[in-house]
Amino acid sequence: MPLLEVKNLKKYFATQKAVDDISLSIEQGQIFGLLGPNGAGKTTLIRMITGIFYPDSGSIIFDGKPFDPANDIAKIGYMPEERGLYKKMKIGEQTLYLAQLKGLGKKEATEKIKQWFARFEMESWWNKKVEDLSKGMQQKLQFVTTVLHNPKLVILDEPFSGLDPVNSNLIKDEIFNLAKNGSTIIFSTHRMEQVEEICDHIVLVNRGQKILDGTVGQVKQDFKEDLYKIAFTENSVALEDNEVFSIKGATGNSIIVQKRDGRDNNEMLQYLLSKGILIESFNEILPSLNDIFIRQVEGTPLARRFQEID
Amino acid sequence: MLTLVKDDPKKLSESFETKGYDGYVVIPAHIMVDKTPGNISVKSNRTLGAIPEVQSKLNNIWNDIKYEELGIDMQKRETLTGSHLNVSAENLKDKNSDGTFAMIIGYAAGFLVYFILLIYGSQVMMGVMEEKTNRIAEVMVSSVKPFQLMLGKIVGIALVALTQFLLWIAFVFIIFNVSKAAVEANPSMGEMVANAQKVFGSVNMGLLLTLFAFYFLSGFFFYSSIYAAVGSAVNEDVREAQSLSFPITLIIIFAIFMLTIAMKDPTSPVAVWTSIIPFTSPIVMMARVAYGVPGTVPYWQLGLSMALLVASFLFMVWFAGKIYRTGILMYGKKPTWKEMIKWALRK
Repeated sequence: MPLLEVKNLKKYFATQKAVDDISLSIEQGQIFGLLGPNGAGKTTLIRMITGIFYPDSGSIIFDGKPFDPANDIAKIGYMPEERGLYKKMKIGEQTLYLAQLKGLGKKEATEKIKQWFARFEMESWWNKKVEDLSKGMQQKLQFVTTVLHNPKLVILDEPFSGLDPVNSNLIKDEIFNLAKNGSTIIFSTHRMEQVEEICDHIVLVNRGQKILDGTVGQVKQDFKEDLYKIAFTENSVALEDNEVFSIKGATGNSIIVQKRDGRDNNEMLQYLLSKGILIESFNEILPSLNDIFIRQVEGTPLARRFQEID
Repeated sequence: MLTLVKDDPKKLSESFETKGYDGYVVIPAHIMVDKTPGNISVKSNRTLGAIPEVQSKLNNIWNDIKYEELGIDMQKRETLTGSHLNVSAENLKDKNSDGTFAMIIGYAAGFLVYFILLIYGSQVMMGVMEEKTNRIAEVMVSSVKPFQLMLGKIVGIALVALTQFLLWIAFVFIIFNVSKAAVEANPSMGEMVANAQKVFGSVNMGLLLTLFAFYFLSGFFFYSSIYAAVGSAVNEDVREAQSLSFPITLIIIFAIFMLTIAMKDPTSPVAVWTSIIPFTSPIVMMARVAYGVPGTVPYWQLGLSMALLVASFLFMVWFAGKIYRTGILMYGKKPTWKEMIKWALRK
């Protein structure tokens, strides 16, 4: 049973169709990538899932029941892209306050905060003020406040922005941990290399509409161009286009070829073997998500125009 | 100071400054002959401000001359000027009311409400702006409703204001007790305290304090919710906030202007209506009730004023909440009041 199901969700603003009929389904324990260029409608979609906005139409099913913001937001942890904390407040007090807002008792919350602070080596921060922290440290603290109440659904909007590689890895490991322990994670970003590393399933949104939906592997398969990289043990192998593949490029002792329609890998290898060539490696080149993203989004205007909504 | 100098006016016009005078008055010689004073002008090289004093001094001298002329001696003059009629006010409905004291209390209460509205109202606005610019607003509204967040801010600052006032009251109470001990040691001050107590006894302090708490809180909710809406609509820029909140501040200042009018005549139509209309009632009604209920302010006026204020602060909190809901997550251009009202009317 999916943890979150969104059906035909629409949200129009005065001058824009921010979210225009989006449906998606997220299984429990999944790390779900919500991708899209700036202004695609990701934030609006997330705000509807977190109960900040009411959808104009469509439905949200959360944990098997229609989404009820009043009760369900305690089961959601949301780290917005535009995030911040009360700068003058002490870190310990503030974390406790935010946890209590999510319905945790004082004792339970204190315990959990201590655990998380220990894990992130933040114990000495308790009585410091937020304004004393660097941006990266604030980011870590923000992550802790987001996941502290053990939410069923964690929504992270650009969680790695401003983090150094060491802290990025720390957060990344925690994201995997959360998923392993049964939390579902929606991960919104436009940094594709992170998506490839982390996400199981992705959805690409552009101009308020869903244009791609699938697992990372599936999407790559769908967009592959049957390109292969073949390396040889000797230099300068003379090969020409043939009925099995065409040659797309050559560098040193390797070439890139495109398989012709209806052929399979064995035929390619057979052809190469029949030429008496010593093959060192044979790899399929799958497109990166970055390429797919650019290809899908390219051609649409970069900035969304304001439009009349009737 | 006037000094008598016998000199030629023409010469004097050149020499009065070197002799150390600011200016001079020429008394024409014919004045003692035909007894028609007419206009006398003070001549100076500067614009002098003390003309009324010069005039009254010269008239005193002129009076003395006339009294002498009419044969009225000092004794007769004293019987003439020494007897006066004293006029004091008595309120038939409320024997204890004291106009002067009511005026002082009225002014004090009105101004106190005025300061609370301005100072703590803009504190609400700054607080909301802080939440927006710190970007904690979106984190918060994923845990609580925007309306709750706004109301929390308003109630929180109202409690701060109340706490500060309680501290002041405690402070006054301590001063009062300390001075009472000092009075017991010093009998000459006993009279003063007795006077003060009589005056305090003339005003229904219990009612006044209750009404003060009511008007202060309701007025605060009314105005601070508008301030919260403004704070949610603007960005970091304090100038934006000032320009957008200027009309509100202007209304509050208008109310204090109405207060001064109401104090002169607390039963005039202007005083009555401004003490009923919610925009000005927290300040003006506070000033009027010091004159006595139901003597000066009939029950129906007080009741109508209170009911209207409660209804409108409830409406205003709801209305501001709708603006706040949109504004708090909106970054970019400063909206106009027209756009903000559009946000509020949208479903």
